[in-house]
Amino acid sequence: MRPSTVVAKLGAALLGLCVAGAALAAERPDFTGVWGNYRAPGAGAPQRGAAQAALPLRAEAKAKVDAYHALVDPSGDTPGGFCLGTGMPGSMLGSGGYPMEIVQHDNMILVVFEAHAEIRRIYLGARHDEADLFPDRNGYSHGRWEGDKLIVETTHLKEAVDQARYPHSDQATIVEEYTLATNDDGSKVLTSKMTLTDPKFYTQPITAEKKWQYQPGVRLLPYECDEPTWEEHLEGLRQH
Amino acid sequence: MKSSLVIACATLLAPCLAAAHHSAARFDLAIRDRMVAGIVKEFKPANPHTKIVLEITDEKGTRDVEFEGHSLNNYYRAGWREGMVNVGDKITLNAAPTKDGSDGGYALGVIAANGTRF
Repeated sequence: MRPSTVVAKLGAALLGLCVAGAALAAERPDFTGVWGNYRAPGAGAPQRGAAQAALPLRAEAKAKVDAYHALVDPSGDTPGGFCLGTGMPGSMLGSGGYPMEIVQHDNMILVVFEAHAEIRRIYLGARHDEADLFPDRNGYSHGRWEGDKLIVETTHLKEAVDQARYPHSDQATIVEEYTLATNDDGSKVLTSKMTLTDPKFYTQPITAEKKWQYQPGVRLLPYECDEPTWEEHLEGLRQH
Repeated sequence: MKSSLVIACATLLAPCLAAAHHSAARFDLAIRDRMVAGIVKEFKPANPHTKIVLEITDEKGTRDVEFEGHSLNNYYRAGWREGMVNVGDKITLNAAPTKDGSDGGYALGVIAANGTRF
């Protein structure tokens, strides 16, 4: 084969790869923007105190969760009341009714929750070294695209009996599947289907679904939570 | 936007009530039509909750009463702006009472001196 033919074929192959890559990228929806709780058109406000299905907790896990509630329920104390972020899966399932902002990059998706300025990073490239990871309330999230779906697996979670709906152990793994849809009225809806697998706490996987609605024109507000505590501390210093 | 946010706070009260070192449990949130008027002694919008102190005069006499309220962010989205409520203003709170009947409450909404509601 003549050199010019080899170069031409190589060029055509590279062009093909580029076109294929561009097509793959075109399949990927862009989640960038501010999102708020979804409410179906015409639907009423969500009801407080609606009955929740019992969770398939193992006896030891149930004892831990019950002990936690016996401790805080009389006072109504919550992690958020003490300026602590929600953590997974509560952050992605609602984050206290506050909006969240997604910033989508090729190698990482950043999710910023307004409440407590809580952040999730969903890494899309190579996983980080196991030695570099440690447990956290939001865990370590790694994602991949399957066509127009984003699949995210979250590991390295801390045990969290203080999760409002789905308490979990440090062995929990959460898999989320994100899809983007457009309503008849043109509004964009982001749906997350979550499966929480935690053999230490549950007898079977837990599934849940959360929908977020795109909120054009809305900006996330700052959320300084410790400011009053700091000011009280300063006032205390002034008194002495 | 304002009304939907107020509804969101009213219906998702636990997060809106995320009050540092205070508790939602002491308020009777089922009572949502109680109005309390007073003179502002302190109005500090903050996260996770707002602190409001009013000088109130009623059958018990005149005294300062402390209320909790929604977060700064929720009040902002509901229409509150810096300088809208000042010390000395006469304002009205839509405040859920305490369960034990003691002074105070949880401010579900505010009517500023100029009539602005948030």
